[in-house]
Amino acid sequence: MNKFGILMQDEFKRLAKYNIIQVSLGVTVLWLAVLFLIGRNEAGAFIPLFIFMDVSMMTMLLIGAGLFYERQENTLKTLMVTPVSTPAIIASKIVSAVYIALQSTVLIALAGHFLFDASINFFALIPFVILIAVAHAVIGYLVSMHVRDFTSMIAMLMLYMFIFAFPSIFYAIDMIGGGWETLLIVSPSHAAMLMIDFSFGAEGIGTLTIIGVVYLSFLSIVLMRFFVYPKYIETAIKE
Amino acid sequence: MAETIFEVKNLAFTYPKNGVQALKDVSFRVEKGEVFGLLGPSGAGKSTTQKILTRLLKDYGGLVRYRGKNLREYGDGFYEDIGVGFELPVHFSKLTAVENMDFFKRLYQKNIDYSSLMERVGLGEDKNRLVGEFSKGMKVRLNFVRALLNDPEVLFLDEPTNGLDPANARIIKDLVWEFKERGGTVILSTHLMNDVEELCDRVAFITQGVIREISTPRELKIKHGRREVRVEYHENGRTKDKVFPLDGIGDNPEFLEILKDGSVETIHSGETSLDEIFIKVTGEEISHE
Ligand SMILES: Nc1ncnc2c1ncn2[C@@H]1O[C@H](COP(=O)(O)OP(=O)(O)OP(=O)(O)O)[C@@H](O)[C@H]1O
Ligand SMILES: [Mg+2]
Repeated sequence: MNKFGILMQDEFKRLAKYNIIQVSLGVTVLWLAVLFLIGRNEAGAFIPLFIFMDVSMMTMLLIGAGLFYERQENTLKTLMVTPVSTPAIIASKIVSAVYIALQSTVLIALAGHFLFDASINFFALIPFVILIAVAHAVIGYLVSMHVRDFTSMIAMLMLYMFIFAFPSIFYAIDMIGGGWETLLIVSPSHAAMLMIDFSFGAEGIGTLTIIGVVYLSFLSIVLMRFFVYPKYIETAIKE
Repeated sequence: MAETIFEVKNLAFTYPKNGVQALKDVSFRVEKGEVFGLLGPSGAGKSTTQKILTRLLKDYGGLVRYRGKNLREYGDGFYEDIGVGFELPVHFSKLTAVENMDFFKRLYQKNIDYSSLMERVGLGEDKNRLVGEFSKGMKVRLNFVRALLNDPEVLFLDEPTNGLDPANARIIKDLVWEFKERGGTVILSTHLMNDVEELCDRVAFITQGVIREISTPRELKIKHGRREVRVEYHENGRTKDKVFPLDGIGDNPEFLEILKDGSVETIHSGETSLDEIFIKVTGEEISHE
């Protein structure tokens, strides 16, 4: 097997050992349970919202926590002195983040399709979820590398959610008015929300969705290249 | 002539974040098959030097050649050649020792069968336990096993016996010795004189980012040692001691008299222990500032 394959395999093994895959699955089951509680008639409207919360917030939280553990254990440094490249290591982590996000999305979306009559454009949803997961994994990494302890990581993530994710949720459930739309577009969360809504057939947001896609792609690349990558190396070699 | 493994010229390094100039001027060579010690007090720059030689820190000034070629020209394949034993525990705590070793092992082309090594360092019984449950000394020993997984040509060790009881420190030292016997080269940093004395062929004294002296442990002792003999003897029911210069001691009547009358209790040659030399060399440098 090539080195990337080995890294991937071990990444998954560790995600399982650290219960990250299980927690993610557990949360997905909770989303599904809530959908059933809401009931067949109303649930459809909540499916995009739940996918949004899972793919953006859970990705950030789980991936951030995973990296935080590794930071504490100094294993990042050990990997730096093995013949695998740093981009390959980071890529393996991003791929695992995408996997976790897709696992939840597919489960919720399939339930939506077969049980709740949701109309879903899977060809849009799957690539969009991949992009959203990558962007939020990158943000999660950034946060987890900048904090000193686990508590401040949770605090930072909560702050992030208050600033970026919650306004989009309020907007989605009509708690805040349409005038905010232009302001919200600078939020990665809102770009994510638009992309998911679009996949669920929301109308009149085509242009905004394209802007969102471009924005999240751009954001992921810039954050990765200029922040996450150098910070990863700095974090890894620090004692 | 032995092949030169590392050639280090005028190495300088400043940590960009806090502006600490960790290395000012460090030059030395490491030949194949030797155990080269970096010795110095805390904060001297030993770990920084090791991090540069292991390509962890890249923005350094000066020149490092590995086997005649600029270190900067090497890619990740460099790591097939070297083993790095870190100061701190560096394993996945929720994986067992064996799972950890298997993970790291698969990243290399060349491998050793680590199970006998695991037995040697006394982890045979615990190899299927989670590393998170290991004691500090057990983790240190596992670090050592990990550093040897790829059967490296050059082994970097940072305080390899730190946190080990004397018996386990002995085992690690024996293993370093065996590694050298097989033709391996070792670069070891420490502030323990004992390690230097038992393991190192040559040692560089480093303080405040500057190499003060490079020498063999024996030369150091001769150079800095006092040439004298201390004798404890009993006289009138009481123990007395007296120091004689080593030069011309065979003609020293007082010394000979004590020897002859059988009152000697102990005789110590005055070769200074490396401990004292360490304090002398490093202490002097500090007081110059
Ligand atoms: N990651 C870092 N960021 C900033 N400064 C650092 C960093 N690591 C070390 N230093 C500074 O560089 C200097 C040399 O440190 P280094 O770790 O090389 O010392 P050392 O000789 O290995 O000491 P010790 O015996 O305590 O391990 C010290 O002044 C230290 O404070
Ligand atoms: Mg050190």
